[in-house]
Amino acid sequence: MGNKSSLMLQEQDIRDIQSETGFLPSQIERLYSRFTSLDKGDNGTLSREDFLRIPELAINPLGDRIVHAFFKESEDDHPLNPLPKPSEDDHVNFRQFVRVLAHFRPIKRTQDNKLNAREEKLHFAFKMYDLDDDERISREELLAVLHMMVGENISDDQLNSIAERTILEADKDGDQMISFEEFCCALERTDVEQKMSIKFLK
Amino acid sequence: MSHVLEYVTAGMASIMEDNVSKLFIHEEFTMWNFLSRTNNRGYGNESVLINLCWLLGLLVRYCLLLPLRLIILTFAFPLFYISLSFIGRFPEGRFKRWLYSKLCTFNSKILASSLTLVATHHNMENTPKSGLAVANHTSPFDPLLLTTHSCYDIVGQNHGGLMGLCLQMLSKGSHHIWFERTDPEDRNRVVKLMKDRISNSDLPPILLFPEGVCVNNTSVLQFKKGVFEFATTVHPIAVRYDGRFANAFWGQESISKYCLNLLTSWALVCDIWYLPPMTRRPEESATEFADRVKAKIAMAGGMLDLDWDGYLVNHPFKKEKLMQQQWEFARHLQQDEAQEDNQQLPTIKKKKRKNKSFEYNRVHS
Repeated sequence: MGNKSSLMLQEQDIRDIQSETGFLPSQIERLYSRFTSLDKGDNGTLSREDFLRIPELAINPLGDRIVHAFFKESEDDHPLNPLPKPSEDDHVNFRQFVRVLAHFRPIKRTQDNKLNAREEKLHFAFKMYDLDDDERISREELLAVLHMMVGENISDDQLNSIAERTILEADKDGDQMISFEEFCCALERTDVEQKMSIKFLK
Repeated sequence: MSHVLEYVTAGMASIMEDNVSKLFIHEEFTMWNFLSRTNNRGYGNESVLINLCWLLGLLVRYCLLLPLRLIILTFAFPLFYISLSFIGRFPEGRFKRWLYSKLCTFNSKILASSLTLVATHHNMENTPKSGLAVANHTSPFDPLLLTTHSCYDIVGQNHGGLMGLCLQMLSKGSHHIWFERTDPEDRNRVVKLMKDRISNSDLPPILLFPEGVCVNNTSVLQFKKGVFEFATTVHPIAVRYDGRFANAFWGQESISKYCLNLLTSWALVCDIWYLPPMTRRPEESATEFADRVKAKIAMAGGMLDLDWDGYLVNHPFKKEKLMQQQWEFARHLQQDEAQEDNQQLPTIKKKKRKNKSFEYNRVHS
């Protein structure tokens, strides 16, 4: 009575993913089901088009950045993780898929949170702004992301001033760029745990 | 800078599960039921007794119900063929229409009994006698359900194979409108045909499914506005299947597989609500009228009323929705900035943004 796709996810894989991400086996199966339904080409990986086929993601102004995060994640080094290779050309496999989604697991006091700790969540948000992946948010990057979010509805001047003000407030070391630590400080009062958590269905 | 958080989270949530793609897979139930084939959850881990019951149910369905239904079909199809050929011989006119309506409901009932149709018709006084009827679309056999009660002329996509043969047979009896979606010229022909038909009160009502695709019956997708431009009065009909007995949603799998699924289900239980006719108001546009009709149908059937276009799943999205998101966010940002300016805080140590519940509308309802 299980469906066909769950057979392709081995017990061992589920256990590995569970220890890495903290998802329950039932949640992992459900995510796998979702993964396969998004995978229109049926080749076990997702491309950018597969993601952007989701209408609600396609109309999200940060849709491209979010999709990019999946592909970027796969290139990061995870020394503790026995996973080999960076993903080949623009394809996300299931492990990478789940790993990114794991950042959005709600934080539980009683559990050991690896991927969904506050700092990890903040780092993910930081990467949304950091377009060139240099661990710094420059004024241009901030402007670019703001522009994505407002489209043509705010004038460039006004956007500029908003960006200026933001950098002024957040920049501590005066380099006109926001580093990750400065970013964390700026969002100290924000309830990141609540805003960046999704209830995953079992 | 915290603005980005809500968008990101909403984006992630939509990757995990979005409201539109969900409509094109079978409805998921929270509980195990005797049919259980459509659940992704795979209830193989329930107790042995339940597994046994399910197995027993499977045997009954395949070994008892299926053969009985196939026997009914062996009578029903020839009867269908003969009656329509018979009607086809008559010249056009009132007698032919009368004969067709009688034979049509008769045949529909027999065919529907092969699926064990248990339909509850509500508000039958609103059954349309002529004009245009619109309904939500779940299965290619929706028209069959409706013709068991009263006769319609169907507007639908042309098919090949066995289905195509049936459609041709139907055309012998009455003037159904079959079109080819991929042909842009065809649209004009269909529109003209429909305009002529609707204004003629002698002819049976036309049945149309404005969603354009089959949806899984939990929600109603955006109605295509085309027909609402020239039809001033429509008769809405809401169809709601009970998914515990059969899974009527056609998810674009092969028709034979779909038929086998239906023939080995327990029964096709549905509720049909005939709603009072709705007229377009003078200041309303076609889209607004279509939305109003859709809302009525969704409410009657107990379904969600969604604003998404069913074609979006296979075709690129419309930029307008993205631009609307951007506009709303811009407005929000400007309000924030204005508020900050007014407060005139000299040294802003930490930007304390009040959490203005920024609801990122995934569903425009």
